[in-house]
Amino acid sequence: MTESPPALPPDAPESRAERGASLLRRYGGVAFRTYGIIVAFVILVIVVSIGNPAFLSQGNIFNMLSQWAPAGIMAVGMTYVILTGGFDLSIASGYSLCAVVAAGVGIMVDPAYAFLAAIAAGFFVGLLNAVLVVGVNINPFITTVGTGFILGGVTYVVTKNAAFVVPDMAFGDLGAGRWHGFPFSGMMLIAFLLVGGLVLAKTVYGEAIYAVGGNREASRLSGIRVRTVIGSTYVLSGVCMGVAGTLTASQLNSAQANLDPVIIFDVLTIVVVGGTSLAGGFGSMWRTVVGLGIIATISNGFVLLDIDVFYQDIIKGSIIVGALALDVLARRVATRSGA
Amino acid sequence: MEARIDPPVTSSAEPDAVRVERVSKTFPGVQALKGVDFVLREGEVHGLVGENGAGKSTLIKVLTGAYTADSGNVEIFGVAVDQHGPRAQQRAGVAAIYQELTVVPDMTAASNVFLGRPMRRGPMVKRRAMERRFRELGARLGVDIPPAARAGDLSVASQQMLEIMRALQADHRILIMDEPTASLGPNERERLYEAVGRLRDERASVIYISHDLDEVLRLCDRVSVLRDGEMVATADVEAWDKEKLVNTMLGTELRAPPSRRHAADVEELLRVEGVTVPGKLQNIAFVLHAGEIFGIAGLVGSGRTELLRALAGTQPGASGTLTIDGRTQPLPRTVGRALGLGIALAPEDRKGQGLVLSQSGFVNVTMTDMSGLAPGAIVRSGRRKSAAEKIAASLAFDPRRLGAPTETLSGGNQQKLVVGKWLHRRPRVLLMDEPTRGIDVGAKGEMFAVMRRLADEGMAIVMVSSELEEVVELADRVLVLAKGRQATILERGELSLERVLAMTFGVEGEAAA
Repeated sequence: MTESPPALPPDAPESRAERGASLLRRYGGVAFRTYGIIVAFVILVIVVSIGNPAFLSQGNIFNMLSQWAPAGIMAVGMTYVILTGGFDLSIASGYSLCAVVAAGVGIMVDPAYAFLAAIAAGFFVGLLNAVLVVGVNINPFITTVGTGFILGGVTYVVTKNAAFVVPDMAFGDLGAGRWHGFPFSGMMLIAFLLVGGLVLAKTVYGEAIYAVGGNREASRLSGIRVRTVIGSTYVLSGVCMGVAGTLTASQLNSAQANLDPVIIFDVLTIVVVGGTSLAGGFGSMWRTVVGLGIIATISNGFVLLDIDVFYQDIIKGSIIVGALALDVLARRVATRSGA
Repeated sequence: MEARIDPPVTSSAEPDAVRVERVSKTFPGVQALKGVDFVLREGEVHGLVGENGAGKSTLIKVLTGAYTADSGNVEIFGVAVDQHGPRAQQRAGVAAIYQELTVVPDMTAASNVFLGRPMRRGPMVKRRAMERRFRELGARLGVDIPPAARAGDLSVASQQMLEIMRALQADHRILIMDEPTASLGPNERERLYEAVGRLRDERASVIYISHDLDEVLRLCDRVSVLRDGEMVATADVEAWDKEKLVNTMLGTELRAPPSRRHAADVEELLRVEGVTVPGKLQNIAFVLHAGEIFGIAGLVGSGRTELLRALAGTQPGASGTLTIDGRTQPLPRTVGRALGLGIALAPEDRKGQGLVLSQSGFVNVTMTDMSGLAPGAIVRSGRRKSAAEKIAASLAFDPRRLGAPTETLSGGNQQKLVVGKWLHRRPRVLLMDEPTRGIDVGAKGEMFAVMRRLADEGMAIVMVSSELEEVVELADRVLVLAKGRQATILERGELSLERVLAMTFGVEGEAAA
């Protein structure tokens, strides 16, 4: 809803010819800005699938869904946080912590309780972030870097840096189980993206997220509970890290401290490459979907096209920076023609 | 001062929309309100005027619940207000249209109107119903804004209408409008006046704050004047005229208008030729003399700002030539080059472009000339301080306030600093975009005096203002722009408000190519 092409202000004094030309420039720019990233994604998919047709096979897509489920689910939470103009950098260590909780509890009791415990752990981590960010009013960037260190340290202390291996094979059903080849984890990813997107686009809560991220003071003056809204996104992000940690622990049937410290970059990149603004107020879940598609395609493409590992990072970085440069360029075109 | 103070209204059947009794509010060091009485009747448009610092904002914030009064009562429709904050205020039915617009640029026009209170079915937003309702509200105010337009793409006037629609939608019966026309052009103002008229027809009660006294006299049913935290007069609009209002606000007789420039010209300082900005400006040419105030008049969108920006080196796509010191050269392409030629711009948007709001006055007025004040790249705070104090003195700016973050200063004081930041460099040409926008009568007078003094010292000042009266009153010569073309340049003898108006609307003659 925030991205329907803007209509011309009714009071723009223009001749018919000028109007036509400026409409073209304007909508051209807007369309480029809005959908340019999809074009980039499609081109990427075409390139990779020409290089190796197996890319589009059902098996490969199912595997990608399963593999990217944890990062993708955390990207859903991160989309909310970033839309309000915030940051959650604690998710990498929070994710390990939740995985460790799932595995640790899973050693002792039924997997269902273990999963609930991990999600609860994520919830409380999110609550802690929320209290610090909107209660104590510390800058979210530094708050979540700080809590990230704390959580990482706690996980090391608790596990003594040993892996928790869960002997109960039922523990692995959630993460590794499939229905006719379709991984449960992939289903959960799709469910999170769908529900997260619908809530954002269709509900009063989603409306408040955009309002707060777009203009905090205006939202406050309109009676929106700004701090509650912002705080809730950290809790949401916490729950997402709980679910992601659960999935990973279940996929591996084990967990340990420092599972994947660079997953934070994957998650941020997924959200931002899609075009959601780090300044808040602009973006949407379909952008996160596209971002996820781009990142997953790049990584998978490296394997399928058998690209030298030393070149992978260079290519990945170039594609990310290139996509963002394109976005900035498109914005400049859109603003210039829209003046 | 014949304006009488209303006797306290007793025992009317209908409670008044707002009744303020003996309200006082003290901040550290200042008593902002001193036992103020104020009554807003239902269905009236009530003007509230006073200099900056007279207590208008404080009174408004007490009404909206942003501040709690130290003593006294506030009743809204007969009910004492004891809760505070925007939510409580909204329950009581008070809506404020703030001077700084509160739209969310990346949301649609419709979403902005329903901000914080979307129409809903359970947790779901009813977008289609909202768009329908949005159109109805627009029709009530006589405006037609596309509901799906991105709010940030709308004109300032339309954004303001969104705020008024927001208040209507929430069924707020009391509207506080703080300087609603400050950033509007003449046509847009008319639309706002019409909307206010319609609000009155619907028996909404409006508190209308404005520095434009003509507008207040034209629009309001009654007018109240605040001075130094006291409500000095309230009377029906018929009892007021402009002079009486100004005298009541200032508590003194009106100051004499600044003297027009004396005597014989004319040292040519700068010759501008063929300034063109595609789609905005066509072939503008004029000559500036040392010591003159050169006005640029025109409607919003006529290319005024672009012309200033072209001279200041910040307008992309500008072409044309400058002749200064006998050398002809293309227009400066960067701010640094423009400054090298001695051309500086005091921009329109004080907060966005003029000042670093979080920093003190010291920093702001000296940041433009760090090489002069910080030899060897080391900031000498003593030197900076004395330079800033000298500038402050020349602007009648209280030097004790130089240490405060500039965001805490009034609009008038901020404007002084926006001008002041160039004074250490001593530019030869100072471009001023809307130097008096949103500042009060007293501060305007001081700003005029500063401009005249700088001109007398040999600077050439180019001013753009939406207030045509100001341009006519102050400028020695006026260039009139109409739709990006140079309609004419009026010399001193030819200057009159009527001529300038006629030219800006393109009534008199067609543009001189």
